[in-house]
Amino acid sequence: MFPMPKFLRGFRAILYKEFITILRDRTTLYFMFFPPLVQIIAFGFALDNDVKHMAMAVYNEDRTTESRQLVDAFVNTQTFRVVKEVTSAAELEAMVRQGKAYVGLQIPPDFTRKLRAGQKADVQVVIDGSSSTIALQALNTALGVAFQQSVGILLSDSGRRELPVEVRPQVLYNPSMRAPNFFVPGVIGTALQIATVFAAAMSIVRERERGTLENLFVSPMSRWGLMLGKLVPYLCISMTMALFLFTILRWVFFVPIHGSLVMLFVAALVYIFALVSLGLLVSTRARSQNEALQITMTIMLPSIFFSGFIFPRETMPWIFYAFSAVLPATYFIELMRAIILRGAGFLEFWRHLLILAVMGVALFSLCALRFKRKIG
Amino acid sequence: MIQCDNLTKRFGNFTAVDRVSFSVQKRSIFGFLGPNGSGKSTVIRMLCGILEPSDGMGRIAGHDVSDETNAIKGQLGYMSQKFSLYDELTVNENLLFYARLYGIHGEAMKTRRDELIALAHLGPYVDRRAALLSGGWKQRLAMACALVHKPSVLFLDEPTAGIDPVARRELWDLLFELSSTGMTLFVTTHYMDEAERCSHVGYIYMSRLIVCGAPYELKKLPAVNPPGTRRLEVACDHVTLGLRALRPLDGVRAATAFGQSMHLLVEETLPEETIRETLQAVGIHNVEIRTIAPSLEDVFVALTGQFTGGQS
Repeated sequence: MFPMPKFLRGFRAILYKEFITILRDRTTLYFMFFPPLVQIIAFGFALDNDVKHMAMAVYNEDRTTESRQLVDAFVNTQTFRVVKEVTSAAELEAMVRQGKAYVGLQIPPDFTRKLRAGQKADVQVVIDGSSSTIALQALNTALGVAFQQSVGILLSDSGRRELPVEVRPQVLYNPSMRAPNFFVPGVIGTALQIATVFAAAMSIVRERERGTLENLFVSPMSRWGLMLGKLVPYLCISMTMALFLFTILRWVFFVPIHGSLVMLFVAALVYIFALVSLGLLVSTRARSQNEALQITMTIMLPSIFFSGFIFPRETMPWIFYAFSAVLPATYFIELMRAIILRGAGFLEFWRHLLILAVMGVALFSLCALRFKRKIG
Repeated sequence: MIQCDNLTKRFGNFTAVDRVSFSVQKRSIFGFLGPNGSGKSTVIRMLCGILEPSDGMGRIAGHDVSDETNAIKGQLGYMSQKFSLYDELTVNENLLFYARLYGIHGEAMKTRRDELIALAHLGPYVDRRAALLSGGWKQRLAMACALVHKPSVLFLDEPTAGIDPVARRELWDLLFELSSTGMTLFVTTHYMDEAERCSHVGYIYMSRLIVCGAPYELKKLPAVNPPGTRRLEVACDHVTLGLRALRPLDGVRAATAFGQSMHLLVEETLPEETIRETLQAVGIHNVEIRTIAPSLEDVFVALTGQFTGGQS
């Protein structure tokens, strides 16, 4: 047994007690583990903005092989699926209006005739614009189909075999442009944040409410001893959580991890340290568990929007951009994308790591130094 | 051992403790009485160094409670009003936790735990979670935890509130045992029978300390025994009826019901025969009268009356 330095008095006692209480307190464990797991699964699947197989109604007045080939070309993009063949323009419009179809495709009776005559053949596409993401994708795909069909005909008319200009795009780091690759690392950031900050925010104020804090104040325990004793158990539990989340990232969403696993865990550790410190700071300031809950919510909500988790930081107005710069989640999410997707090395992201570490140390010191071993 | 000198605590405009001065000798059991909200807990918290006094000073074993908090921590044990141990921890774990908190580790920690288990007779419940203990056993555990570092002063804030009479008596036996080892005890309570067992009592009312001293001294105070009066106990049937008949009688200064009897403060010139006759007139016959000494309750009732009279 090594002697404890004076400023850490009480550390081992608190550590011992916290581990037992947390592991025996089913509610805390449940609230630390369950919501983040639901969150990563739900967000991972739902936040997929590749729209596939959207409902399309078709009003084909032409009824020829060519017109059917056009419908097939739409379906083959995998963006559309035909839900109904209708028999009037009014019915087509009604389908879209009632929300039964996102897209209506109308092929006029003279489509094949004009095509064969070398004239311009018009096709009408009606798109439900009430959801901009879906409408945009429907529009792009429809234009793409028309362009491909036209180019095919032009090529065969001109006798050329290849396109005059061809762009060969190469998308680095996420070549298939899968949405989970982009979103899931971000979800890990917010999921860890919610669980960790909430749990830590309750820890000291709960003792204040129950009256056990009074007994601690009467003892010779030091405030650094108390804070460290509270920090370490939450750090361990959240790291276990992080391990779960990384496992889900890799084996449920099949996001390849290009960077170093060690760095991944170092980043998580530094981030969680900042989060627990933030939670403890809330806990020392709040007078009741309810108040702690409200303060935490006030911090959490904006960070979901401004951390770059859903909306890219670069497109934010300057005030939100500046705000996002003080959120630990912002740096962690960027770190995750750098390490997991780009396989970046330490030299490329040490600044983010340093900022997180500084935040953690500052928050932790603030909470120990401003904590008074007195009541009232 | 404990000394208060004009100790005062104000919360905003409200004065919770108003210029309280007293001292408690080493080895004594000091009973601190007063109604709810009169400032008992506030005094204890200030003396334990966890609440800053607004004015005046308190000393524990010669150390100032607001400046030398670290010096007093090793000296005092504190058992707070509501049960404040960790529900999720067992009896054994609670004891080990408090030992570690006071810097006791390794073999010394286990020895101390065993001593405390023996002292508080917690043996059968060692592995039970604190949450599952009954009120009396919770209090014993809380007391054992407060004793872990062998303090020389133990503060107990209403240790017997809400526990059954048997557990209450056993807890007091334990207190006497501790007192016999040389420990100074400071106990707040609502029970007059507990107050009677203390070597010294203080009575706080509306933030002011009204009286302080040994129970037998307080019972001799002139304010409690006005010259030319005596206290009588009158045992009879129909106490309520009797009280109504006796109160208007000339020479009866105060009359209070005490179960199947009444306590009267009467002028010495009032003959017992007059009392008997008055009671017979309302149909009460079997009457026994004897002279008694004032109880602590009589003392506090008399002094409270005097205090509120002086205030208005």
